[in-house]
Amino acid sequence: MSGIVAGVDIGSTTAKCVVLGDDSRILGKSLGAVGIDIVKDAERALEAALADAHLSRSEVSFVTGTGYGRYKVYFGQLVVTEISCHARGANFLFPGTRLVVDIGGQDTKAIRTNERGEVVDFAMNDKCAAGTGRFLDVCANALGYDVSEIGPLSLQARRAVKVTSTCTVFAESEVTSYVSRGKDPKDILAGLHASIAMRTLSLMQRVGVEPEITFTGGVSQNQGMVRALHQRLGAPVNVSPLSQYLGALGAALHGRERLSAGAS
Amino acid sequence: MSEAVSTLANPGEVPSAFLRDARGLQRKLVEEYYSGLAPSEKPHRPVAYMLVGGNLAEIVRAFGYDVVFPEIVALNCAIKHQSLDNILHAESMGYGLDVCGYVKNDLGLQDLGGKTSFGQIPRPDLLVCSFSGCYIYVKWWEALAESYGAPLFMFDVPYMREEAPRKEDVDYLVSQLWELVHLLEKRTGRAFDMDELKRILAESRRAEDGWVEFLRAGRLRPSPIEAYFESIFYMFPINVLRGTREAADFYGVVNEEVRARVREGNLPLPEEKYRVLVEGVPPYTNYRTFWDFFRKWGAVSVVATYPKVGGLFDRGFRHDPARPFESIAEYSLGAYVNQSWPLRRQIIADYVKEYQVDAAIIHGIKSCRSFTAGQGDLRDWLIHEQGLPTLYIESDHQDPRYFSPAQIKNRMDAFFESLEQRRAVAATARAASA
Repeated sequence: MSGIVAGVDIGSTTAKCVVLGDDSRILGKSLGAVGIDIVKDAERALEAALADAHLSRSEVSFVTGTGYGRYKVYFGQLVVTEISCHARGANFLFPGTRLVVDIGGQDTKAIRTNERGEVVDFAMNDKCAAGTGRFLDVCANALGYDVSEIGPLSLQARRAVKVTSTCTVFAESEVTSYVSRGKDPKDILAGLHASIAMRTLSLMQRVGVEPEITFTGGVSQNQGMVRALHQRLGAPVNVSPLSQYLGALGAALHGRERLSAGAS
Repeated sequence: MSEAVSTLANPGEVPSAFLRDARGLQRKLVEEYYSGLAPSEKPHRPVAYMLVGGNLAEIVRAFGYDVVFPEIVALNCAIKHQSLDNILHAESMGYGLDVCGYVKNDLGLQDLGGKTSFGQIPRPDLLVCSFSGCYIYVKWWEALAESYGAPLFMFDVPYMREEAPRKEDVDYLVSQLWELVHLLEKRTGRAFDMDELKRILAESRRAEDGWVEFLRAGRLRPSPIEAYFESIFYMFPINVLRGTREAADFYGVVNEEVRARVREGNLPLPEEKYRVLVEGVPPYTNYRTFWDFFRKWGAVSVVATYPKVGGLFDRGFRHDPARPFESIAEYSLGAYVNQSWPLRRQIIADYVKEYQVDAAIIHGIKSCRSFTAGQGDLRDWLIHEQGLPTLYIESDHQDPRYFSPAQIKNRMDAFFESLEQRRAVAATARAASA
């Protein structure tokens, strides 16, 4: 049996997969959209990551599912919540991590971890998508941009507007109102990012703000959000091009641990 | 840190083999109670509406009243998935989203005619607002009084900031109890019978002894009871039928069953991995689903605060036929939600030790601030001051729209994963030092 393991993270908007080699080197990864058929999305995520790694399914010894769709990873041997997986993944990339901020499609999480990447405490947004990736999607749409454009644009703002809404639907109305008043979209975007940073900080304070802080999830790829968090915290946050994959990476690491425990 | 997929068969299914005769008897008592309330004969026995916390059931029973607890009617609606229609009706009457689910369920139900799947809820002949610590409750009773033209007796109970009740507070409540007696004499045309009250109080005391014996079984390792989920069933006699022989006898059956469980090893779970304290009102609308979230991790609720809303009997209080009015006054003062947060914290800290608790789960409810406000601070206090792993989750006791299974499950799974990790690390450290 090989020591190759995979982690499949089925989030609310994207499916991610990471394939890890014996030496915990990332051999392949994938990122795709989540649609109606989550089971198929999970299978596709694994297939794509295996293709990226030039491996076949039979070469993978252990698969772990995580994310909201973790129970749909039927071909896996283990399920672990994404809270534990982001903590483990962040610890793997940035071993000094003590607080993980994960902003995904519909969830924002603050996860306090220890030196082993285990969860010490966590807090999440309540039943509301304000302050999540979905919030940015809706507001980008209202301004006529693709969500991938808004981070860089927000960095060009001269004077960020104040976005007060704590509700995605109301924030969209607020954005429209600023547009009709002639505000520069870049300033509106900077205001939106600042409002999410403010909400996120409040969540982080519930578990205790402790450096190092690692930013994970899809929204961590948004440079505007990274800067807004940095400004609100007054401290830098760790970000990596792999940040969006940290849930899947953490899942693979949990699988590796389970595999080793089984072997011993 | 994780769960094997193979253990996830039939999520949502709660095996209940450990529940035997007592559960059947409880069902029978509930059915008899609601069918007995139906005003099939005229004139029917008078009905008093009362709130559970600090209630004065013994006094009105001494005058031949039946007691209806709209909170309990509401929770019965919720557990039978009938609360949302009533709540939506109340909202159509103008009650806002943030108004207490108990209140909206009851007012909606009343306006729709009081018919439930478990019986017809009779109109009140008297309204006794026995817990005045919640402003919404006061308004609820005022709305009912206006709607039915029934007299409203407002029982003013001072908030408890010290563990022992003050004499002046007891005297103040006793004076109000006599006012209630005079009102009841006037309404019924009957003279107050102190001997009858003492007889009822003796039955109450007998039920309280039995109830406490059941609750304390959670101290055993492994626990033969589910102190939160199972107590939800057995709270009915102590809250609704307290003062009757049936209630007192019921706990004899319960405790015999619990002793048999210990003898036969018929326990809530095959393996008790985590001994959990639960604080807060249950999500009645999804109670079995919620229970399953505990069971899949081997977590048994060995102690809970919610079953104490009808009285902190396990802390030593008993109704006392030798001191009838004084003990009723002390009972009302000692209602769980009438305790200040430092007192509630102390109760919980004592439970953690007495019941050898591994972790606490706090379930806050959106629509009740009087129970829930302060639970965030409680969580922090338990984690930082008591060193107890604690999870706070939120939904509602009545309104199913606030129960999001995936989100609650995710939080609970992550919480138990972290407990599992801590145990694994501690075991490794122990092995290394051995």
